[in-house]
Amino acid sequence: MDALVNVTGLRKSFGSNEVLRGVDFAVGRGEVVAIIGPSGSGKTTMLRCVNLLERPTGGRVEVDGHVLCEQLDDGKMQFADKREIRETREHVGMVFQRFNLFPHMTVLANIIEAPVAVKGVNKDHAKARAHELLEVIGLGHKADAYPLQLSGGQRQRVAIARALAMEPAVMLFDEVTSSVDPELAGEILLVMKRLAQEGMTMLVVTHEMSFAADVADRVLFIDHGLVVEQGPAAEVLSNPQNERTRAFLRAVLDRAPMTTDEEAGEDGGALEEHLAHGLLHQEPGESGKGAEAEDE
Amino acid sequence: MDWQIVWESVPLIWKGASTTVSLFAWALLIGTVGALALALMRLASFKPFVWFAVFFGWLFRGIPLLILLFYAFFALPEAGWVLSPFWAAVLAFSLWTAAYQAEVIRSGISAVEPGQWEASEALGMSRLHYMRRIIIPQGIRIMVPPYTSNAMTLLKQTSLATLVTVPEMTLLTQRIFSNNFKFIEPIFALAMIYLAMTTLLLIGQALAERAFRLRV
Repeated sequence: MDALVNVTGLRKSFGSNEVLRGVDFAVGRGEVVAIIGPSGSGKTTMLRCVNLLERPTGGRVEVDGHVLCEQLDDGKMQFADKREIRETREHVGMVFQRFNLFPHMTVLANIIEAPVAVKGVNKDHAKARAHELLEVIGLGHKADAYPLQLSGGQRQRVAIARALAMEPAVMLFDEVTSSVDPELAGEILLVMKRLAQEGMTMLVVTHEMSFAADVADRVLFIDHGLVVEQGPAAEVLSNPQNERTRAFLRAVLDRAPMTTDEEAGEDGGALEEHLAHGLLHQEPGESGKGAEAEDE
Repeated sequence: MDWQIVWESVPLIWKGASTTVSLFAWALLIGTVGALALALMRLASFKPFVWFAVFFGWLFRGIPLLILLFYAFFALPEAGWVLSPFWAAVLAFSLWTAAYQAEVIRSGISAVEPGQWEASEALGMSRLHYMRRIIIPQGIRIMVPPYTSNAMTLLKQTSLATLVTVPEMTLLTQRIFSNNFKFIEPIFALAMIYLAMTTLLLIGQALAERAFRLRV
């Protein structure tokens, strides 16, 4: 398999607290992998190790051909140099639980900052692309708004657009619906679903079991810093083999019965129409603006 | 109090105002540049930078400003470095300002949410870039009130330069009462002029707070 993310033996301790105890996983190009597990299981830490926001204390992380860290024979960790880490991050989009938009900048400025400063994209091109992305996520009218003027669902959609503007090879999602009101989660999930349909490689830490069931190709169940069970989403979620997975799923599904993505809030329908225009960058000339990426 | 004398004192004192303002402006400018460098050193991962910044803050916040001033004026010439009274004062005030404002800048930077640093890093921005564009602009909002307080203190402390013969407002005021033996009136006029100047700083603070407020 053409693995875009390849992680082996991943360990992470905070002081004497060992959060990850030797995790192996890989994400293939175009694959959507959901990471589920109880709170405190280490799933967020695992995700943050992929772009080295957390520095692993053991194991090897390879992303898009770059070895970000590796454990040497004597047990010491060797990290890629700053420049290589930065270069890799350009290809790894991340969306955070708490949005982390830049509150002192407009929505448009949030989106174009990194493409212009990091990738050296021409400012006018970056703006045009940002407007395009905002249109598709249904926020074309919010380009000049400031993040704190938006709802949680809108902020998170902007955060996704900000990451997409870098044209990443893989997207990391860290519980991106956990800090928005439940009725606004649907609009974020719709955007993510569309992204998956267009073939984006995605690693998604989530509590949304219905999203994992609908969208993910594969599910990893993490508990106490280990991958306890993994496999095709349908199998893991409907017929879990491990007792802890079963207990977790029972607890989660008892509390919140599976919802469908169709419950995407009032303007869900409108958003879906916008999304049909496609989120991923199309090579100019290859397909006109009207031709959508209908590659699902 | 004789208002006539108060009124006559103002133009005499005002002749020193430009010296007071230059002292203040130079010290604030040089001190702020130094403070920014010290704050960044304090937050660096290279330990000698951290040690230097901590040492600097310990030294120049720990010694009375008046003594710094005496050192710059009396001690440096003995080491072969002769400065005019004005520049000796600017030197002492700049060191004092750098030490105090470094703490303001450092705490402002540290108060910016960790998520802002993480988002910048995750987007592949260099540290220099995101400090300049993301972190410091947000930190400024937090820095403005304590920065202004220190600036007000600096402005008032420039009166100490009298003791090293810089002809600023306080020195000129003393000349008035050594001429006419009227004490209360010139001092009152002087106090009002300082108050007017610090009021301008407070207005500046209000304007800066408005400029940097977040749009919600």
